[in-house]
Amino acid sequence: MGFFKRKHEPKKVPEGRVEGFYKVTGSGKYAAEYKLENVCYAVLVGSTIAAGEIVDINTDNAKDIEGVLDVLTHRNRPQIPAFADEAKAKRAGFSLPVLHTNKIFFRGQPVALVIAETLEDANYAASLVTVSYKTDQAKVDFDKEHATVPIAATGKERGSMDAWSNAPHIREQAYTIRNQVHNPMEMHATIAVWDGDKKLKLYDKNQGVNNVQQTISRLFDIPPANIEVFSEYVGGGFGSGLKVWSNVPLAIMAAKQVNRPVKLMLTRPQMFTLVGYRPQSWQNVRIGADANGKFLGILHQAKHGTSVFDNYGEGITRISRLVYNFGNLKTESATVPLNLGAPTWMRGPGDCTGAFALESAIDELSYDIKKDPLQLRLDNLAVINDPDTGKPWSTNFLNECMTKGAEMINWKSRNPLPAQTKEGEWMIGYGVANGMWFAGRSKASASIIMQKDGSITVQTAMTDIGTGTGTGMQNIAHLELGISHDKIRIKLGNSNLPAAPSQGGSTGLSTISGAVAAVCDALKMKLAGYASLQDAIYKDAKPESIVLSDSGIAYQQAGNHLISFDKIFSKENLQTIEVEASSGPGEERQKYAFCSGASHFCKVRVHTKTGKVKIDRHVCVVDAGYVVNKLAAANQVSGAAVGGIGMTLSEEQVVDSTHGCFIGGDLAGYHFAVNADAPIIEVDFINKIDPNINPSGAKGVGEVGIIGAAAAIANAIFHATGKRLRDLPITPDKVLLAKS
Amino acid sequence: MEKQKYSRRFFLSTSAMAATLAFIPVGVKAFYNNVKKLVIPLKEKMAIKLSINKAKYNLTVDTRTTLLDLVREQLDLTGTKKGCDHGQCGACTVHVNGQRVLSCLTLAATVQGKEVTTIEGLSQGSELHPMQQAFIECDGFQCGYCTPGQIMSAVGCVNEGHTHSVEEIKEFMSGNLCRCGAYNGIVQSIQKVAK
Amino acid sequence: MRPFTLQKPTTIGQAVSGKKESAQFLAGGTNLLDLMKKHISQPDRLLDINSVLSEKIESTAGGIRIGANVRNSAAAANELILSKFPLVSHAILKGASPQIRNMASMAGNLLQRTRCPYFYDTSLPCNKRKAGSGCGALKGETRMAAIVGHNPQCVAVHPSDLCIALSALDARVIINGKDNKETSIPFKDFHKLPGTNPEKDNNLPANAIITAIEIPSNPFNKNCSYLKLRDRESYAFALVSVAAALQLNGNRIVEARLASGGVAHKPWRWYEAEKFLKGKTADLSNFKQAAEIIARETHPLNGNEFKVPMLKGAIEVALQNCLTA
Repeated sequence: MGFFKRKHEPKKVPEGRVEGFYKVTGSGKYAAEYKLENVCYAVLVGSTIAAGEIVDINTDNAKDIEGVLDVLTHRNRPQIPAFADEAKAKRAGFSLPVLHTNKIFFRGQPVALVIAETLEDANYAASLVTVSYKTDQAKVDFDKEHATVPIAATGKERGSMDAWSNAPHIREQAYTIRNQVHNPMEMHATIAVWDGDKKLKLYDKNQGVNNVQQTISRLFDIPPANIEVFSEYVGGGFGSGLKVWSNVPLAIMAAKQVNRPVKLMLTRPQMFTLVGYRPQSWQNVRIGADANGKFLGILHQAKHGTSVFDNYGEGITRISRLVYNFGNLKTESATVPLNLGAPTWMRGPGDCTGAFALESAIDELSYDIKKDPLQLRLDNLAVINDPDTGKPWSTNFLNECMTKGAEMINWKSRNPLPAQTKEGEWMIGYGVANGMWFAGRSKASASIIMQKDGSITVQTAMTDIGTGTGTGMQNIAHLELGISHDKIRIKLGNSNLPAAPSQGGSTGLSTISGAVAAVCDALKMKLAGYASLQDAIYKDAKPESIVLSDSGIAYQQAGNHLISFDKIFSKENLQTIEVEASSGPGEERQKYAFCSGASHFCKVRVHTKTGKVKIDRHVCVVDAGYVVNKLAAANQVSGAAVGGIGMTLSEEQVVDSTHGCFIGGDLAGYHFAVNADAPIIEVDFINKIDPNINPSGAKGVGEVGIIGAAAAIANAIFHATGKRLRDLPITPDKVLLAKS
Repeated sequence: MEKQKYSRRFFLSTSAMAATLAFIPVGVKAFYNNVKKLVIPLKEKMAIKLSINKAKYNLTVDTRTTLLDLVREQLDLTGTKKGCDHGQCGACTVHVNGQRVLSCLTLAATVQGKEVTTIEGLSQGSELHPMQQAFIECDGFQCGYCTPGQIMSAVGCVNEGHTHSVEEIKEFMSGNLCRCGAYNGIVQSIQKVAK
Repeated sequence: MRPFTLQKPTTIGQAVSGKKESAQFLAGGTNLLDLMKKHISQPDRLLDINSVLSEKIESTAGGIRIGANVRNSAAAANELILSKFPLVSHAILKGASPQIRNMASMAGNLLQRTRCPYFYDTSLPCNKRKAGSGCGALKGETRMAAIVGHNPQCVAVHPSDLCIALSALDARVIINGKDNKETSIPFKDFHKLPGTNPEKDNNLPANAIITAIEIPSNPFNKNCSYLKLRDRESYAFALVSVAAALQLNGNRIVEARLASGGVAHKPWRWYEAEKFLKGKTADLSNFKQAAEIIARETHPLNGNEFKVPMLKGAIEVALQNCLTA
């Protein structure tokens, strides 16, 4: 099912992503779309209380429905081997409730799974399952609960808090953000197919097939090699696919129970409770500066929600340790257990939340000092060394991002005073904020299969959730090998392919580019080995002395000692040439600190009478090292900025503490940005290679486009109106009611 | 005649009722079960003739089956996507008689006599539709899941003439959510085709 | 969905006689199917009325007659409506999405049910969905709820945009009842307040069918506007909306119409403010006073007080927009 295996080869496919044809024709298969004989459908029933236990559960009515095959509950579900005893369950590292207990931890927790011949049967039957509960007091009100949770140091303290207690300028403010939900457009789905007792095929939506394979292996006590996970097309993730959620083991259990392939696709409301969210948070930032605006110190405190059954912590205060020079620094955090579903990493986890507070506080300080917020930032940036480890940044061009962005939005033309610029009943304002994300890299493997005609397939287990991984791999292989793009096929998202980590945290391309470079070298050396049997000059060849092209292998320069691939293949009687290689980070990680950076600039208009906020312009300049594919990278950044617009202005999963639940959990009640909410996002790159991070010199771009975006918008709203909004999302009611 | 629509088995509809019944003697309960019954409606099937992407289908469908579930689950036309199933995202957009509509809120049995076009039927033979071509060239997608709906909607947007400005395109494409936020490329694709 | 029979009546008479209690008419289906999938509406029979109802928009002696089955998008783009009743078009285009407007019928738009999240979640209390279960919103989240005309039984708001314009323009809802005779209901009497039976949204007789909407000729085609404030730019229900229309003689207001969505269980007319504006100069100071009069009529709930200043702003802006329309 490689990206290039076309059913109907079109006459001419326009240039673009390797998988573009399949996406625009709808022929790429996402998890729930594989056609399998005898498949049946499962629909989850969620609890209607947030805490307590199931007293009785009646599935008779559901079972009476024509077409219903079975209804699983905690009473009759097949045992998950890893849940056989406490110790095993701990080792499995899987804490989500999957019908293994009668205890209820959150509203929407799976309490029954209806399996039926058709989706229509299953859906109707699911509505007939009735449950009676013993209800306990649920904790869902973050605002109320967090006050009772003590805060503790996180990370090493720098200097002391006393050293700047008399600083000429000190700002201390609290910032809050409501629950926000990933909501990738494809709902999480799994088709589970057993082959006997010990072999399993999973067609699943996730961001890492090997992670699914390993987790399911531990849960069901099956060797990983017996589990094949297919995730060739993944309809977005934003972090929700980094974890194996309950739908996967539940589909596997159901398939076991009815001895048929079972398809389980979550409903959109279930996407709000069962596959994570960015937890509600409270932050307090105290920041001090001298009379010239040199930062003297910072205290950054953060608390955020987690579930009562699975403690999840995200490093909200991390960003304060990285971007600017603070000689004195203290960071503290705590998690607040709640009877809600489990939160998880969501685009720019931790830093995205932290940056809103940090970059808002800096902005507030700038107006206190009466110093241009752009200049204040520039003066305090830590672009030489990572202030936390003291290691030199491998590359950090955040200052250049700021300068370039300022030019693009014409920052100079901005009135330094807030609430001054009016157009009719609209007030105009500009805001700036920075974002940073660690530029991580993991170990991954890739392989190449070469055909007689010189065409190659580069493959890895890594998924492409929409970032353009496959296209990036193709570009790198082309650059490394010289083989033209149309002869390079890409195969991804299958656990049988060379192992790779999950795609997340903006590490995908950074990680896989190393593996692709390594496997390209391996191919060169393998070809050189065959070539040396025909021409001795290839005997001592190194990868850098080999030049490949569509016509064959050459020495040092194209055409020199050329041996065609055909000749190598026929002489050695080869069908294919296959090589595999791995690559991961090395000692460069000891020497350097790595980061991607972004500067966000925003021009907003705010209506004085209605509180409506309209984003006129949004500029994002990114330092992401070498840009492997500008179109896809810019798309990532502009998409993240659109995510930032939603995060800032409209995204909120409302919690009703009376009824202990999320309210309005669907796409009509939860407002992420539609097309009309965003202007055409203006994106540019510094595009300077990072010589140390990996062979491609590329750093990740997925997160930095959203980290800092919220503060840039909130800062612009302040500049427009003189109103400081410290609680996201900034809906029109808050703008209207805020005092300037 | 009405009776045939229901299963002969009787059942109780709520556990509350079951709980109440727990305190009633068995004989009375049986009687109660028979008298205070809620009968199980049997699913209704209909023979229908559909034209999808100019291909004719003779099908027997559950009356409840939506056009979306029909094409995805029974006809292996999985290009039409399910993003919410409730008319809140636009991923399931198809054309019925040339108009862009939501297949998740359309019963399959109600499109008899109409021409349905899904993403699979948009291109003619081996040529991509200009809108598909533009989406590739302008990188009007990331994960690709909302893309077929965006493209079907974009074709509708152009046909309706709502392409006079970026703002107009954005407003008339706001029925198609894209969580990747690939709105830049989507707008540019439409501008390219509308020219 | 609960299983159901699908029937296709061929005449209005057949449709009306087939409409027993457990049956529902199906036109565009954009709201009904949604509710059926949620098991909120569970008809055992659907009557597909698409071939029995008119899809015509006709000029009549007194104004305009819009067939019940005209699609929202067709009405919004109709030349007659654009020239004589542009407010209707403005309002329609602020509702839902292009796809939904292509599907939704004009009559169906009138029958949309509330989008109150407590109505939509079958595990939460809601008197509108399940009489006697209580009002979940009143004890829970009231942000989207009503600020006028509500009672402890129900604080839900009416979701339509079209209806706000129709309310402002004193439309009439044309229906055929059991006897298959055409009668009409004034728009202000069509939708109802929650009262003691919030499960009912309107006064359409149980067995009746809407066949058309009539709007009387009016002088409001020059100076009218529809303003909708919501949590995002498009494809969202109103926090508050305002349909405003002025008949001007020079700078003097001969007659004014003001109606709002997102504020009450039905489209809400601001008669007092209309009366105030009559004869006044069309200027900001009078618009502000009108907004003040309106604000005094409201009774926000604990948690949606913001709707009052927002509504005041919306009223002022909508009236100003009438002058530049």
